Amino acid sequence: MSVPAIRAEGLSKRYGSAAALTGLDLEVAEGEILGCLGPNGAGKTTTIRLLLGLARPTAGRAEIFGLDCQRQAVEAHRRLSFVPGEASLWPSLTGAETLHLLGRVQGRVDAAYRGELIDRFALDPSKKVRAYSKGNRQKVLLIAALSARPDLLVLDEPTSGLDPLMEQAFRRSVQEAREAGQTVFLSSHILSEVEALCDRVAILRQGRLVEIGTLAEMRHLSALSVDVTFGGAPPDLAGVPGVTRAVTDGPHVHLEVHGSVGPLLQALAGTGVRELISREPSLEELFLAHYGPGGAAPELTATRAGAGAGR
Amino acid sequence: MTGLLAPGPGRDLSLAGRAPGLVIARLVFLRAARSGAAWGLVFGLFIILQTLGYTSAYKTPASRAGLERAYGNNAGLNALLGQARDIGTIAGWASWRFVGILGVLGALWGLLTSTRLLRGEEDAGRYDLLLAGQTTRRRAAAQAVAGLGAGLLALFIVTAAGTIVAGLPASAGFTIGQCLYFSVTLVASAAVFLAIGALASQLASTRRAAAAVTGAIFAIAFALRMAADSDQHLHWLVWLSPLGWVEESRPLTSPDPAALLPVLLLAAIVIAMTLRLAGSRDLGAAAIRGRDVSRPHLTLLGSAAGLAVRLMRPAAIVWLLTTAGFALLLGSIAQSSAADVTGSREIQQAISRLGGHGSVAAAYLGLTFLTLSSLIALAAAGQVGAIRAEEASGHLENLLVRPVSRTSWLAGRLALSAVLLITAGVAAGLAAWAGAAGQHSGLRLGSLAAAGLNTVPPGLFLLGLGALMLGAWPRRASAAVYGYLAWSFLTEFAGGIIHTSHWLLDTSVFFQLVPAPATSPDWQSAAILTGLGLFGSVLGAILLARRDEHAA
Repeated sequence: MSVPAIRAEGLSKRYGSAAALTGLDLEVAEGEILGCLGPNGAGKTTTIRLLLGLARPTAGRAEIFGLDCQRQAVEAHRRLSFVPGEASLWPSLTGAETLHLLGRVQGRVDAAYRGELIDRFALDPSKKVRAYSKGNRQKVLLIAALSARPDLLVLDEPTSGLDPLMEQAFRRSVQEAREAGQTVFLSSHILSEVEALCDRVAILRQGRLVEIGTLAEMRHLSALSVDVTFGGAPPDLAGVPGVTRAVTDGPHVHLEVHGSVGPLLQALAGTGVRELISREPSLEELFLAHYGPGGAAPELTATRAGAGAGR
Repeated sequence: MTGLLAPGPGRDLSLAGRAPGLVIARLVFLRAARSGAAWGLVFGLFIILQTLGYTSAYKTPASRAGLERAYGNNAGLNALLGQARDIGTIAGWASWRFVGILGVLGALWGLLTSTRLLRGEEDAGRYDLLLAGQTTRRRAAAQAVAGLGAGLLALFIVTAAGTIVAGLPASAGFTIGQCLYFSVTLVASAAVFLAIGALASQLASTRRAAAAVTGAIFAIAFALRMAADSDQHLHWLVWLSPLGWVEESRPLTSPDPAALLPVLLLAAIVIAMTLRLAGSRDLGAAAIRGRDVSRPHLTLLGSAAGLAVRLMRPAAIVWLLTTAGFALLLGSIAQSSAADVTGSREIQQAISRLGGHGSVAAAYLGLTFLTLSSLIALAAAGQVGAIRAEEASGHLENLLVRPVSRTSWLAGRLALSAVLLITAGVAAGLAAWAGAAGQHSGLRLGSLAAAGLNTVPPGLFLLGLGALMLGAWPRRASAAVYGYLAWSFLTEFAGGIIHTSHWLLDTSVFFQLVPAPATSPDWQSAAILTGLGLFGSVLGAILLARRDEHAA
């Protein structure tokens, strides 16, 4: 069995009395792309800083390819590249000089691929960093990280500041990393990005891992979204087994269903259904389900639109 | 939590009634006033301790006449501190010594403060936020200048308090009016260089460049004042330097307020130019445009240590040249200083008190090399600040997420800083020898090189103290090192004259220094200071490896 790219056991970090991360158990297999979601302050960046050895854990431990993140940080860093969300670079160096420096310090760089990435991200490397926009500074760090072709890419909101075209270039580059067998740990607020790129998704809430799995697994655990349009007045479906939420708006009813849809179908039989659309929840809906008021636990709500309910 | 920020009933959101247009002035004032008050405290303590020292050491007319004979016509000291007039009286002595030393320090405070709070804040992007409010670029600059002015007022108030405490007692016998006028003179050079720093902040594209421009103007002003005071035939040069105008105001002996008019006029013109430029340029841009596009120069960009060399190189070269130039000047006037005081019993006594046994030229260099040691220690404190800035700005993180250990990074930075300090010390010794050799002073190359090296251990000790602080309390590292440097400076320059506890004097890092080349360097003390610095560095590196990395 191969060594996981990332392994965390009971990883915790406190800042004074505030718990930034509590008991994180996590394993990321080699070649996998793991998306990490959570609102501000959920513990995503703390997790990354602990994995990089920039912060010391209060409890637990973490490994990168079997190397202890604290005691063997330098060896671990030989196998990874990191892109932070906030690019802070030396303003007096040009883009080309910065890329050269970061490549030499990293110890390896695919110069041809670096040139390709410079073209792909439309970066002018002759400009000094102080003349770059935020997005261009972010591109420098992305190019530096990707062109090292590391075994592990740790990306903390890497596309903040990039325009939609560059976002596409980023997705293409991550796909190439996947094809090359590289592992990616991607922390992002852009749910469509995570949905498009990641094999598995981890969701953090208040410093705790509340959910991890593939999107398919998470969808099975989450509500099915069902929209029904009736020919006449809709029946009361709030009490049907499995229905956790029902929002009525005239002849239309929006339902969320956990588990089997059999009881709902039985309840709908002979009620004058004109249209029925069901779909799996999007990642955004899954995410909001975990961060809506009241937490992750689904609650049965039956409200009428315009009455101030809804999410 | 949000409740804490919510306005109460009937309250508006405009900073609780504070005019939103004054936010910039208030922000700049708070920071300039804090720094001005801290420097004013050092100025005030210096004035009090030095005045006490003078009145207790020179009680009789005979002893004061002796002092005047010894130092009154010394070309070397005149060049260094300004023309000594009536130093047999406390008024003359205070005018000479305080204006000579504190005037220069005030100018340095002015240039550092204005470039930090104007161009430095603009570099950091914080002005973007402020200018998005209800103001214009010109009004924002006017507010910032007003804030700097209020900071200058803080420097004046605390300095004046020290002057009044020292000057009112019968032993000194100054009136309140004299004390206040004297304090105005002491901060006049600070006002000029605050204004010049503000103008340079509009002209240059980075804070570093703005500080370099202002520093160069200061160096020229100082050199003109030195030349004017070293030779009577060149005395007219004093009117070409703002530092000369301040000297000519002679606040306590023969007050000439007209000499301060050029100071006011220059400051007013420079501020008007500042406001005009601030209103006509883009935010973040410079009136003198730097090159934002260039071909890659990859020299030294192969490692973290190479990067550090490259980043510190311009400032290091300027600083080494300044130190060496200063030492060259000291060497070239050492012989004439010796001629001025040959046979002076007071000077001979001063040399023997310091343990010296060499020629008077060597004694002069021994005493002035203590000043050189302060400059080198100041550079050490600057290096600690630069190392912390690497971490606070987030630049260091780019290296530490790659195969670079914190310990090796810190060791590399400290080693480079130590090399810079040692080079500066040796270069100063060699430059002083070159200056002295031209005057046939008979001082040997080896002895002056050793004397130059002798000025370095206090800087190495401060570097170690800084490293320890970087490992333990990084956000306090700069303040701790500059604070200890100020303490050492005060204790050395004031405590030496007042007969105070040896334990207290021992807390000054400069007190451990012998005045080479007047006497042979005390290599044992030097080794102890260097060893303590090394110990602090090792401990700092261990602590750094065991703590979280901290951005600002």
